[in-house]
Amino acid sequence: MAHSTADSSTEHEQVGRAGASRYWIVWILLLVLTVATFLLSRVHLPSPFHLLVALAIACGKSALVVLFFMHLWDHGGANRIVFLTSIFFVALLVGLVVLDNATRFDLLNPGRGATLQTEPPGPDILTPRYPPEPGSRLDMPSAVEPGRDVPIPPLPK
Amino acid sequence: MQPEAYVAHHFPNLQQQEHAARLGMWLFLATELLLFGGLFTAYSVYRFLYPATFALGSEHLSVAAGTVNTIVLITSSLTVALAFFYAHHGRGKAAALSLLVTLGFALVFLGIKAWEWTHDFHEGLLPGRYFSSKELQAVGAPMFFTLYFLLTGLHGLHVVVGMCVLTYVMIQAWRGVYDTGYTTTVELGGMYWHLVDLIWIFLYPLLYLI
Repeated sequence: MAHSTADSSTEHEQVGRAGASRYWIVWILLLVLTVATFLLSRVHLPSPFHLLVALAIACGKSALVVLFFMHLWDHGGANRIVFLTSIFFVALLVGLVVLDNATRFDLLNPGRGATLQTEPPGPDILTPRYPPEPGSRLDMPSAVEPGRDVPIPPLPK
Repeated sequence: MQPEAYVAHHFPNLQQQEHAARLGMWLFLATELLLFGGLFTAYSVYRFLYPATFALGSEHLSVAAGTVNTIVLITSSLTVALAFFYAHHGRGKAAALSLLVTLGFALVFLGIKAWEWTHDFHEGLLPGRYFSSKELQAVGAPMFFTLYFLLTGLHGLHVVVGMCVLTYVMIQAWRGVYDTGYTTTVELGGMYWHLVDLIWIFLYPLLYLI
């Protein structure tokens, strides 16, 4: 108890001791990084680096804001754990959800489904297939025609 | 009124109370990050699915407006940090003026944002099924503008809330409430504003600089 009180006391003093010059230096660094990210976006780097560089600069800028404007540099361990945990869970959410889409069979992704619908399974795989007639879709009544080797279950009514 | 007079009865001393207030604020900011995290996830998924369309949609946004807004928000963060510095050194009037400058920057930010949105409305760059642009015809473009309006809209809402918080802090600072040395309110209100800045730092490259 006494120990933690002493800790918070130094924390309080440290937060207040930061000179105004520190804020101005951080501000200048933030402006420089903003100009840098703008200029680098005009260069058109190859595809993955374009995004990675922009994100790296954004992470650097937010580190400056969090550490010095929000005083996490001076705050105690519990505050750091709370912040880092929230960052970790946001990264987990974004990373795993994108990983789900990235590892799917691509035609199952949203926006690709139309490709599946234009190619219904034909009677055999050897005859070349063409875009189907409007009437021959499986969900149309006229799809029930003689000579099909796969019996079509009746549509639920 | 001495700073010790602000201690609630369930805290042994002022340091403990400030420590608890700070930790509570970080917890609240963590929930804010998770709130925006949901939208950033949606953004990531649809940017992964339609990378070319997102690049096209980004070209219909004004990079100049986005860049100016970034600089405006960064500078407003500086004036909030300076306000805390002044309040901590017993200069309540200087802190209030610094916060007034911040509110001015916030109004400039919202003004530029309103101009951008008006432009988008006239171009038919609207979310979802209201999308009616003649120039931009690509699968996924309505989704880009859905995410654009949701992200900037939620962020703009936070700007408005932050302005309300800072207005309260500014009035209290002008009346000399923080001159006694109890500046936790200024610090925590400022942290909210810095979070708004933090979110925009990510929105700027993700929306305007694809």
